[in-house]
Amino acid sequence: MYALEVKNLSKTFGDVKAVDNASFFVPEGSIFGLIGRNGAGKTTTIRMMMNIYMPDNGEVILRGTTVGQEFRNNVGYLPEERGLYKKMKVLDLLMFFAEIKGKTGEAVKKKALEYLKKFSLSDRKNAKIEDLSKGNQQKIQFIATILHDPDFIILDEPFAGLDPINTELLKEIILQLKRAGKVIIFSTHLMDFAERMCDHIAMIDNGKIILNGSLKELKESHGQRNISLKYDGDISFLNGHPMVDKITDFGHATGIRVKDPAQIQELLKLLIQNDVIVKSFNANEISLQEIFIEQTVTEEEAVKNNEVQYV
Amino acid sequence: MFNTRVFAVLKRELRERIMTKSFIISTLAMPLIMVLLFGFQYLMLSMEGDAGTSIFIACENDAVTKGLKEEFSKTSWVKNGDYTLTYRSMSGEEFETYFAEHKTDILNGKVTGILFIPGSAMKDKKVKFYSKSTKNLTVERKLSRVINLVFINNYFADKGISKEDILFARINVDFNTFKVTKSEGVKKESGGNLALAYVFSFLLYISLVMMGAWVLNSVIEEKTNRVCEVILSSLNARELMTGKIIGSALTGLLQMTIWLMPIVVVIGFKLPVLPTGFIVDLDAWQVLYFLLNYFIGLITFLGLYASVGAIFNNAQEAQSGAMPLLMLIIIPFFITMSMITSPTNTLAEVSSLLPFSSIIVMPARMTLVDVPLWQFILSFIVNIGTIVALFPFAGKIYRIGILRTGKKPKLKEIIKWIKFQY
Repeated sequence: MYALEVKNLSKTFGDVKAVDNASFFVPEGSIFGLIGRNGAGKTTTIRMMMNIYMPDNGEVILRGTTVGQEFRNNVGYLPEERGLYKKMKVLDLLMFFAEIKGKTGEAVKKKALEYLKKFSLSDRKNAKIEDLSKGNQQKIQFIATILHDPDFIILDEPFAGLDPINTELLKEIILQLKRAGKVIIFSTHLMDFAERMCDHIAMIDNGKIILNGSLKELKESHGQRNISLKYDGDISFLNGHPMVDKITDFGHATGIRVKDPAQIQELLKLLIQNDVIVKSFNANEISLQEIFIEQTVTEEEAVKNNEVQYV
Repeated sequence: MFNTRVFAVLKRELRERIMTKSFIISTLAMPLIMVLLFGFQYLMLSMEGDAGTSIFIACENDAVTKGLKEEFSKTSWVKNGDYTLTYRSMSGEEFETYFAEHKTDILNGKVTGILFIPGSAMKDKKVKFYSKSTKNLTVERKLSRVINLVFINNYFADKGISKEDILFARINVDFNTFKVTKSEGVKKESGGNLALAYVFSFLLYISLVMMGAWVLNSVIEEKTNRVCEVILSSLNARELMTGKIIGSALTGLLQMTIWLMPIVVVIGFKLPVLPTGFIVDLDAWQVLYFLLNYFIGLITFLGLYASVGAIFNNAQEAQSGAMPLLMLIIIPFFITMSMITSPTNTLAEVSSLLPFSSIIVMPARMTLVDVPLWQFILSFIVNIGTIVALFPFAGKIYRIGILRTGKKPKLKEIIKWIKFQY
């Protein structure tokens, strides 16, 4: 049994089919990434999972039963568009958000103070929300999401607008929560994060789920002709090489796809012969971004992207 | 309907509203404003702005001139120097010349007016008053009363009529008013209950508009802040709306109770702050009825304000969108004003039994006339019925509107929201 199962969810706004018969599953104890580009239907899907939008069709199943108030009490939700009461004091606000989840009392207060300390916001506990910086408001929103110790944590674009240090902090806390057995679901269009953090993913494009499964398996099945390369030197000789199907620069690494899996060793040889200093050479490795582009980019967009890459 | 989540929202509304400066100030300031407002009106009535009036009185009849001098010098406004009067006896022709010469005095403000009392006035009481403005009612009223007095004295002086008879002829009719009620028979009345009706409707009007604006803004804030999305992930829209409206209604009730306190204390303990002869008749049950009725009214109107707030995306749009609601408050308010001149008018009676208007008209009516019990019961049923009929619709609009962003929805869309089944 899965922790959470989404079955045939559909939602139409006017003429736009925002989510089209979406189904995926989230296993227990995993970090699950709902990935897709802007406007793909991630937020609408999450809102339907949260019962904020009524789906036109389909259902969300929590450990075998349809979600209801029980799920609401047991979920922490960080919406894409952050929302806090601007005039409330930090601690009052946190206590209010815990209270509507049914958690009150000293224990919650103690925990709130602990989290504030962790995010170095202890001295702001009596400040009004509107007096906090945007980054700090984000942190408060995140604390409000997890303060009531939910089993499910749903984060819609959690890293948007965070600086690198707080991004690391947030990642660390997400991993801690995972170790504590929580199910974490987050949506993102940042493939990098998804790749580094998720165990399972569902990829959504134009409202349709195009991939769903464990990241490891997905990468294996898609990565047979792919190499992820880190290097110093010049690899321009590979452009248009008969052995090479495609080269994509991802910044942190370069993805190379050969035409035949057997050519991988030959490619390595070729690099060394051409005095390229190879720092890492991962055969059968494909980045999530590559899979994503492979799955979602239309012919037209691909042509455009290739032009940019080879200039 | 009530659970810990609703209670949490309710508590937050109470705390966030009551602990604000604006609430504390408006709560404390309102009785002060009312006192000032009434005081100001009282002052306006008593202070007629006619100090510094100077009048030249020309009179053909010597006896009248003498009589005028004598009577005018007895009045308070001549004694304290507000009025400066100059008298001269002259014939009609003399006055013509005098007036021709001194017309400019009126124009340049040397004198306020020139009064000519011809000899014929002793027969027809017709006098001529020349001044820059012919609409100076205060001056006219003050002068004519004294002149009439002198005329009467002179007219009857040689007719052998006793002083008592003349005195009787001079005094005006004194209208003593009594209110007849079923329960307590006949009671002497003064303007007291009229003032009370005015105070009641004024407080209801001000407070419904104020609380309405508060709820409207608070819903808009939640909507534009997107905080409603976080909240709706914990509780459903109905719970949020219920907590919000009851919380706000309770704050309103608290505020109103504080506002009524001075009135109840003054009337209940018959404190001698009111002018003598100013009798106010108010029972404890009427105060309780007023508060209960107000609470029901708050629930009704705040529900409407909340759903209007949910429709719009910013305060400006919402304010114009709330105009029809404002009309539902203002029109009954004007109806209560009409009762001040005729408390038993049919419009007031009917509107005190209709949805929405009943909330504002009934309390004013009950202070002025003896409202039959069945009308109280009917208005109560009508008001509760309004809430029961209204909330399913208000709730749906609120539920859908609060998550809507983008352009202002059309009326057709809102009707679609109401029809939406879920």
